[in-house]
Amino acid sequence: MNIEQTLQRAEGLLTSWNKEATHPESNRLDVVVSDSDLRPAVTALQNGGWGYLSAITGMDLGPDANQMEALYHFCDGPAITTLRIRLPRTGVATLPTIEDIIPPATFFEREIHEMLGFQITGAKSNERLFISDDWPEDVFPLRSDFSIEQAKPVEGRHADELPEEGVVGGNTFVVPIGPQHPALKEPGHFEFTVDGEVVTAARMRLGYAHRGIEKAAESRNWIQNLYLFERICGICSHTHAMAYSQGAEKLAQVEAPARAQAIRELVAGLERIHSHLLWLGVVAHEAGFDTLFMYSWRDRETVMNLLEQVTGNRVNYSANVLGGVKCDIGSEQAKAIKEGINFLESRIRHYLEVVTTDTMFLNRTRGVGTISFEEAERFGLLGPTARASGLVRDVRVEAPYGAYSRFPISAVTETNGDLEARCVVRLKELLVSCFAIRTIVDNLPEGPLATKMPRKIPAGETISRVEAPRGELFYYIKSNGGENPARVHIRTPSLCNWVSVLEKAVGRQLADAPMLIAGMDPCFSCNDRMITTVDQRGSRQTWSWKQLREHGIESYKK
Amino acid sequence: MNALTSLLSLLIFPAGLTLVLTGMFYEWVDRKLVARFQNRVGPRWFQPFADMVKLLAKEQILPKVANPFLFFGLPMIAVTGALTAALYVPLVGFAPVSSFAGDLIVTIYLLSLLTLCMGLAGWNTSSRFSLVGATRALTQLFAYEAPFLLALLGPALAAGSWQISVINDYARTHWFAISQPIGFIVVLIGLMGKLELPPFDSPEAETEIVAGALTEYSGRGLALFKIGKSIELIVGITLVSAFYLGGLHGVLPFLAKTLAVLFLMSILQTLLTRLRIDQTVGMWWRFGSILVLAQILLTILLRGGIL
Amino acid sequence: MRIGTMFQDIVESFFKKSATQLYPAERVAPPERYRGVLSYTPSACTGCKLCVKDCPSDAIQLFILDRAAKQYVMEYHMDRCIYCGQCMASCKFNCIDLSNQDWEHAALNKDFMVYYGRDEDIAKHLENSAQPPAETPNK
Repeated sequence: MNIEQTLQRAEGLLTSWNKEATHPESNRLDVVVSDSDLRPAVTALQNGGWGYLSAITGMDLGPDANQMEALYHFCDGPAITTLRIRLPRTGVATLPTIEDIIPPATFFEREIHEMLGFQITGAKSNERLFISDDWPEDVFPLRSDFSIEQAKPVEGRHADELPEEGVVGGNTFVVPIGPQHPALKEPGHFEFTVDGEVVTAARMRLGYAHRGIEKAAESRNWIQNLYLFERICGICSHTHAMAYSQGAEKLAQVEAPARAQAIRELVAGLERIHSHLLWLGVVAHEAGFDTLFMYSWRDRETVMNLLEQVTGNRVNYSANVLGGVKCDIGSEQAKAIKEGINFLESRIRHYLEVVTTDTMFLNRTRGVGTISFEEAERFGLLGPTARASGLVRDVRVEAPYGAYSRFPISAVTETNGDLEARCVVRLKELLVSCFAIRTIVDNLPEGPLATKMPRKIPAGETISRVEAPRGELFYYIKSNGGENPARVHIRTPSLCNWVSVLEKAVGRQLADAPMLIAGMDPCFSCNDRMITTVDQRGSRQTWSWKQLREHGIESYKK
Repeated sequence: MNALTSLLSLLIFPAGLTLVLTGMFYEWVDRKLVARFQNRVGPRWFQPFADMVKLLAKEQILPKVANPFLFFGLPMIAVTGALTAALYVPLVGFAPVSSFAGDLIVTIYLLSLLTLCMGLAGWNTSSRFSLVGATRALTQLFAYEAPFLLALLGPALAAGSWQISVINDYARTHWFAISQPIGFIVVLIGLMGKLELPPFDSPEAETEIVAGALTEYSGRGLALFKIGKSIELIVGITLVSAFYLGGLHGVLPFLAKTLAVLFLMSILQTLLTRLRIDQTVGMWWRFGSILVLAQILLTILLRGGIL
Repeated sequence: MRIGTMFQDIVESFFKKSATQLYPAERVAPPERYRGVLSYTPSACTGCKLCVKDCPSDAIQLFILDRAAKQYVMEYHMDRCIYCGQCMASCKFNCIDLSNQDWEHAALNKDFMVYYGRDEDIAKHLENSAQPPAETPNK
């Protein structure tokens, strides 16, 4: 079934509620529904087996248009169906929840609630997820009339209201992991209620590294935004830049030359090797296997040196420009890449052997956090976490973009769905990447490195999906024809995978909890993209030593 | 004169100051070996000493809910236990400072006193991490203590005495590592459990419970606990090599044999992943006990001339 | 099912040199494309200011004292720069280069501003900025 037919099927499923249907791009169907018809429309798509919910974008069209929009994006292979709901801006914009139909929707709904002020009726929990607890009520950062003076912290509340100190008496208490904890490489907050060593409940908070990127993007021009988005994450930085450049190029109706697209795929492959080796080290460290941690990070130096040779930097490569790439692969780089990849491939095979045969390591990973195929579908998992349960969600395979049609990637899956399967999937993916990189280096198409892009991108909206090392990265870019984008919404893969940790930690030992968190390869920096400006710890003060010490003692006594 | 020599041997050589310095030296050797195995550089020779000096200079923060007597007293009791245990083992190859019949049991008890103090300290400071760490430390104590003691009993049975100096002399002519191999394996792994070295470092699992029972300690208290641990390291290794590797009768044999045991332990540390606490206990109570009981049975039968 | 799968690695490492680079005693030369500190030559510049517009972090400012005589002064904030290289890509006349040798800039003080241009131009610019400016330089 090709894209045409897939979209027609979707249109067919939605006829009863369809108020207005358009095709903004060749692979997209945009259907306007009213808010009361949202639930039946979503149920119809689910029952018809049409795709999965990929993201929910909220937009404030401004006081002139007096409208807010919520876009529900469903993806089935390369086809995307968007349910568009328009609500008036004045008063309270309410939407019914769909979290009982699609469990992962809860994170997306909370995001649009906290950022834009959509009230979600029927939601199970209205705890804050991204925004700190002392952020004032009814102030929504992404609204067009938001100004920083509104964001004063509420008196008497902490930025992070933790529950009462763990009760020791009744044999259960709460062990907090984060925001500062040796297990986490970036801040995030997990609370595991333990009874002895067994976890009985799990809860989480995100937003500790929120930086206001989506809002900041609206005040920078298209070229400056490229570097802003690149710095959302250190190890998926190239995929963010690639997604954004692709989206901007689609809007400007410019196609990057074949050589540039191939180089983009090559750098993405190298980045994947970097990311997965880092992840392997982190999992080994959480398990207590420091030797594997040290060796995999030593080998990661090789790939970082390769990236430095090709692009000029070890992390945040800045290889992309709008319209192509900046760096070329000459014969010297090609030779270095081939040598490096040979070395890395032999090491990756060795790690694959270690991960699948070392008895003590398997004791910590086999059978831990098993997610079945049905559960993976229901939770809406993405990336290698889903592929380890047999669910093939890989944008490079389902909806090839850029050079992936020319240099395809084969999908790697496992069936067990436990932590061991996730290790194996990631390492085997690297072997596929190594093969692809070699093929590209040998068959690099000739041509220029970049096409000229206009400084003012024409009006329109586009969706750009790429496969980051953690899963599908979703960019929704809207332009009003100016030098700055009107709205960029980014849905990173880690956001969808958190459900797996929360559900699977319960019933297992406390020692497995850090492994489960590490097992889904969380990228907290990718998750947090909004500002929490003025709070006690974040305000720009230089503290004297005495003040800092006092503050430390004060907060310690609590 | 007797009192003076006793005081000297207690405070300076071979116990006391020499003991603490040797303990630090062995801790350094262990860290350096592990680093070299992991293709890293490793610390320089004075690192443990520098750590100690730094810790002693830091402020101690007393948690609000902790009992101050226990908080400040437990590190001191722990170090005292470790130092006293050292008096009965042949340190640096010289005869034990003090010796009496049955001092094997006393030594092992004093070494366990250190672990007990750490567990109590964790319970006392009652932060969420230290409570979990204390529970794990005590659970692990229950697990490895019996097999470890029984494994040390093998040579004691063969030598026909519970006095360490007698066993040490007997072991000079009998290398128990060869005649009681199973016991040797159990005692080596038991020692790793006692010292909370990987793969048995669940009580102080850095990535799960920050620092285990000692999470809330800082400054002098932490320095004392660490000194206690390095003393435990050297006393444990001395005991194991005295019993199984042909007795310690001189400085050179002491260095050679104890460093060999340390080398073996470093290799095992780097090779193995940390075990979860339930896996540790399961392993010890299933394999550890059975193996060592079989070994003891064998020894008794052989000695009784039945086999 | 084996115990000690990494045994070979361990034994080999014991006899090999360590993988650590003993900086600053040992320094590995950075690759040719490494992006270090910016340098600017006014001789080819036309004053289009695309580099200033496209800098993501406001790290460069261009002051045009006299366009015909090519009297330009560039103010470069080394601490704001993120070394992305967009200025290099935006400039059509190759006035800007990111050095690959000059990258060790840990400092104890905070005066990170660097001026590029001919000496007399820089002096004139500093003189001008000491007085209140007649018009604010646009971005």
